[in-house]
Amino acid sequence: MKDSDLLILQEPHLSLADTFYIPQVLKGLGTTMKHMFAVVAKGEHKVISYPEERREDLPIEEGGINSRTYRGVHRLNKDEEGRVKCVACFMCSTACPARCIHIEAGESPWEDREKYPVKFDIDELRCIYCGMCEEACPVDAIELTGTYDIVGLTRQEMIFDKSKLLRMFDETVKNEPM
Amino acid sequence: MLNWITTYIPPWFWILLVVHLGSLGTVAYMILLERKVASWAQDRVGPNRVGLGFGIIPKLKDFHFWGLGQPLADGLKFLVKEDYRPKNVDKLLFSIAPMLMIAVVIVSIAVIPWGGVMQSTIQVPLGTDAVNVAGADRAVDLPWWMSAASVTNIFYLPGNQGAEVTYRYAFQIADLNIGVLFVIAFLSLAVYGVVVGGWASNNKFSFLGGLRATANMISYEIPLGLAILCIVATFGTLSLGDLVDKQLHYWAGFIPAWNIFTHPLAFVLFLVCIHAEANRAPFDIAEAEQELVGGYHTEYSSMRFALFFLAEYAGMITTSAVCVALFLGGWHLPWVEWLWAWTPVDPANPGVYGSIFICIFNALVFFAKTMAIIFVFMWTRWSLPRFRFDQIMQLAWRALIPISLALLAGTTLVIYFFGGARRENMQVGEGMAIALLAANVIIAVATLFISKVIPPAPATNRRVKVENSRFNPTTPAPAVIAN
Repeated sequence: MKDSDLLILQEPHLSLADTFYIPQVLKGLGTTMKHMFAVVAKGEHKVISYPEERREDLPIEEGGINSRTYRGVHRLNKDEEGRVKCVACFMCSTACPARCIHIEAGESPWEDREKYPVKFDIDELRCIYCGMCEEACPVDAIELTGTYDIVGLTRQEMIFDKSKLLRMFDETVKNEPM
Repeated sequence: MLNWITTYIPPWFWILLVVHLGSLGTVAYMILLERKVASWAQDRVGPNRVGLGFGIIPKLKDFHFWGLGQPLADGLKFLVKEDYRPKNVDKLLFSIAPMLMIAVVIVSIAVIPWGGVMQSTIQVPLGTDAVNVAGADRAVDLPWWMSAASVTNIFYLPGNQGAEVTYRYAFQIADLNIGVLFVIAFLSLAVYGVVVGGWASNNKFSFLGGLRATANMISYEIPLGLAILCIVATFGTLSLGDLVDKQLHYWAGFIPAWNIFTHPLAFVLFLVCIHAEANRAPFDIAEAEQELVGGYHTEYSSMRFALFFLAEYAGMITTSAVCVALFLGGWHLPWVEWLWAWTPVDPANPGVYGSIFICIFNALVFFAKTMAIIFVFMWTRWSLPRFRFDQIMQLAWRALIPISLALLAGTTLVIYFFGGARRENMQVGEGMAIALLAANVIIAVATLFISKVIPPAPATNRRVKVENSRFNPTTPAPAVIAN
C-alpha cells in the first residue's frame, strides 16, 4: 500500500448558512415533502400490491421475475408416456445440502430402466431452494418451478410426496415446459 | 324533552362528550396517519388493506377504504392480546403508570377553547335566584349549572309563566382563567407516567428511558414556559379563550392578528419544545428503539401499552391545540366573517356567536389547524434523525433557554416602551406588532451570529481510561517494533 493508493476525501464545505443548521434542516424537510407529494399526488410509489400484482407478471426492469429461472417449489417431470422420469439414482438426495429429499427405490415395472422411486418425499420446509438437485439429476427428472406461494397448516402438509410433486408438473408444465 | 335536556344537562357536558370521544377517535386515526406519512416519506403506500368490512361483513368487505379499518383492527388486537406482566415488577406502579399518563393528558384537553363563546336563550321558571342583570326585577330559577355572571339578558314572559334567560358560555369544557398554566402543569405530570413505568418495569432499558425522559422534560419545560410567557405578557391574560379572542382582528385591514406574525421566534421555540415534550423524534430518546429496546414501555403489552401509546398521541393533540390557540389564531378563519354577519353577534365582542353551527364550524377550523400542526410533528419525525443525548441537553441549555430568556426580555421591553398605558386584556395594535416582530427578528439574527463567537461546549464524550483496554488503556500502548 503506497500513499498514492489512498483516496483522501475532503469534508464537504459548509457555507455560513449551513453552519446555522436551520437551512439544512429545512432542506431535509423539503426532501421528505417532495417524496410525500410524489406518492400522494402522482402515485410514484415503489410498491407492488402483491396478491393483485404478481412479480412474474411484471417486466424484469420493473422488479419482475422470470418464472423459467426462478427457484421455487420442486416438480417431478413425466416422460411422453406419462411415467415418472426419475430413475431413483439418489443423486439429488446426495447433492442436497439440506438433506430434505427422501427417496425409496423399487424395481421398475418398465423395461427401459432398472429402478423407479416408490416413494419420493421432499420436505419443502427444510429445503433451501438452492437448485443443487436440479443440477445433479442425470435424467432431468427433478426441476424447480416458478411457484412460490405454497401454504400449509401443518408441517406434515409441507412434505411433498411423489403424487404431489407429479401434480406440480401437471400444473406448471404449460407455463414452464421441460 | 328538548327543554328538559337544555335545562338539566349543562352545555359543557356535551362538549366534554364530543371532545373526549372525538380526541380518542382522532388518536386512533392519527396512528394510521403516522403510518401513512411514514410510508409516503419512504415511497411506500402504507396500510391499505383493512377496510371497514373486516373480511366478514358482506358487500363492505370487498372495499379497502384506503385502510380506514386499520385503527379499529389495531384496537381490537390490543384488547385481545395477552396482558403480560413480567416477574419482579412493582405490581401497583406497573399498572398505575399508563393510567396516570392517559389521565393527565385527557384532563389537560379540558381548557382548549374550541369555538369561541356561544350565546343562547333558555326558558326558566320564576324562582329564588336573584340575578344581577339590568332589568332583572324578579328572581328566576336558574339551572344548577348556570352561573348568574353568565346571564346577559332576562326577558320576562307575560304573567308569571317564567322568563327567557339569555346567557353565554365558552365553547369549551372548562373556561378556566388560568388555562395556559393548567395545560403546562398537567402536561408536565405526564412525565411521571414515563418515569414510574420505567421504574416499575424492573428493566434497565426501561429505567434508562424513564431517566432520559425526565432530563428531557426538565430541560425543555423552561424554554416552553418562557415562550408561552412572551404571549401571556403581551396580552396580560392566562385564559386560552381570551388569548384567542385577542387575535380576532386584522392589522392594516387584512393581516390576521395572529401571534405567529408578532412572535415568530417564540413560535419556533414553542414548536421545538412541544416536540420534546411529546417525546417524539428528533427528541424521542426516552423510547429510542435502537438504543433502549423499546424504552420505558419495553415490558408493557396489550392495553397497558396501548394506553401509553394513546397518551403520547393525545398529548400531541393537546400541545398542538395549545400551539394553535396561542400562535395561530385559534378558531379564527380569516377573511370570512361576512359569512355569519346575519346572526345576532355582539359587535363589541367578535368572539360571541348566536348559532351553535358557527361554534361547531369554528371547532372544525380549530381542529383542522391542530391537525396541520400534528402533520408537522409527523413530517419532522420521518425527516430528522434522533439527537444524541448530550446534543439534546446542549440544545436546551446552551441554545433554547438563553434565546427564550432574551426573547422574554425583548418582549417585555417592547411592551414597556410601545404598550402605552396598557391594561390587562388588550389587543396588539399595528405599531406594537411591528415592534414585537422587530424584537423577534433581531434576537433571532443576533443569536445566529453570537453562536459563532461563543466558545464550544466541553467534549461530553470523555473517555474513561480502562486497564488493558484496546481503545483507551491506562498505560500507553507499547510501540510496535517493525519486524
